[in-house]
Amino acid sequence: MEKGVRRMFGSTKGAWSPRRIIEAELSWVASLVLFFLSIYFAIRGDVLWTAYGITVLSLYVLPMMSKRSPFAALPWDMMVILVVPAVIHVAVGSAWLKGGPTWMDDIASLSFSLSMATIGMLLSVEIQMYTDVRMNSPFAVFFIVMFTLAVSGFWQIGIFIGDELYGTDNQGSNYDVMVSLSWSLVGGMLMAFVYYAYLKAMPEDRRRMLGFVHLWEVGRSKNG
Amino acid sequence: MQAGIVAVAVSGIVTGNLTWVPAALVSFFITMIPSLLRRDLHLVLPIELNFWIVLALFLHVVGGFSGLYDRVPGWDHVTHIMSASLVAVLGFVVVVTVDKYVDSIYLPRNFLALFIVLFTMSFGVIWEFLEFANDQLLGTHLQYSLQDTMVDLLFDAFGGSAIAFAGSYYLTNTTPEHFVEKLGADAAKEKIKVMVARRRWRV
Repeated sequence: MEKGVRRMFGSTKGAWSPRRIIEAELSWVASLVLFFLSIYFAIRGDVLWTAYGITVLSLYVLPMMSKRSPFAALPWDMMVILVVPAVIHVAVGSAWLKGGPTWMDDIASLSFSLSMATIGMLLSVEIQMYTDVRMNSPFAVFFIVMFTLAVSGFWQIGIFIGDELYGTDNQGSNYDVMVSLSWSLVGGMLMAFVYYAYLKAMPEDRRRMLGFVHLWEVGRSKNG
Repeated sequence: MQAGIVAVAVSGIVTGNLTWVPAALVSFFITMIPSLLRRDLHLVLPIELNFWIVLALFLHVVGGFSGLYDRVPGWDHVTHIMSASLVAVLGFVVVVTVDKYVDSIYLPRNFLALFIVLFTMSFGVIWEFLEFANDQLLGTHLQYSLQDTMVDLLFDAFGGSAIAFAGSYYLTNTTPEHFVEKLGADAAKEKIKVMVARRRWRV
């Protein structure tokens, strides 16, 4: 009886435990959604969001390639966070949301900042996997907050340049931009501590199942 | 230039134009910090850095006091690029020191450059937050327009990238260890230990 329960909920034996398959499938579906969205952005000539898609998808593919296992997919909850802003971006561009609720912008900025923090977190993990860089948790938390703010700043510059080049008006007023950047500060700080707690609280077997996310927390020494 | 900053404070008090007096006094105090560090901790900041700190604050205070921000077109950009590069250099010094003293952190040159760019940029965004908050709360007009804010950020990015390149080039010639030694950080650490111990002894 106990064995059966354990097999249902997160056993680490073998690649085929049902829970592992379901989690991996969720993650694959999310990545496929992002893949097709990126193609859509590329066709529309949306440079920034195409770059976003390429960045996330390469971070997604890297662990799978190096481990040669499709099960080394990123956790599905992170993938959902990464896909949501792209979906919102498409939805905001569509006709039925024109003149919609004003808080839509805030939601969009917040979800964007959450995804930026997630990218920062993945970057800090994968940089440690594939290079000599070593961080400890406080440094990584600082890195995530800083990364979110800085990339949001670059992102706004990118939108600004796009507006100047094509004569569009995607950016709104100075007030809009500052509110959007404030959301990225809030989201970055929130997510940095959420991930800190998430990795602390993640059960050992799930961490082993994901295969690589443990690195961030260990903070190995220069020689190790 | 320190004298110039003091002159701004004095003439501000004399003429009753008090807007820039606090800024000038704070700036003067900040320009004193390197020599204070040197006297009390034997922490020697590079002389160029010292000069850069004074110059950036001088341009800011004098520009604000005499209205050069409004009259000279590029003034804002010059001060922004100055302060951004200053932030980048200070970030560089701190991060290299952290790299040396914390065992579980190791940051190679290339990552350091990336870090400096991100650090400077995030600091630029925080700077714009402060301007924005000041405008909203006190009704000032520090952020002229969207264009102005964006170009500010762009110049912050330039300043940060320049220092990132310079810094990683600098480290090809010396090691981080050597750099930190030149700062006299080891001696400073000992000094701080002694000071803390003495404080504890007294209490």
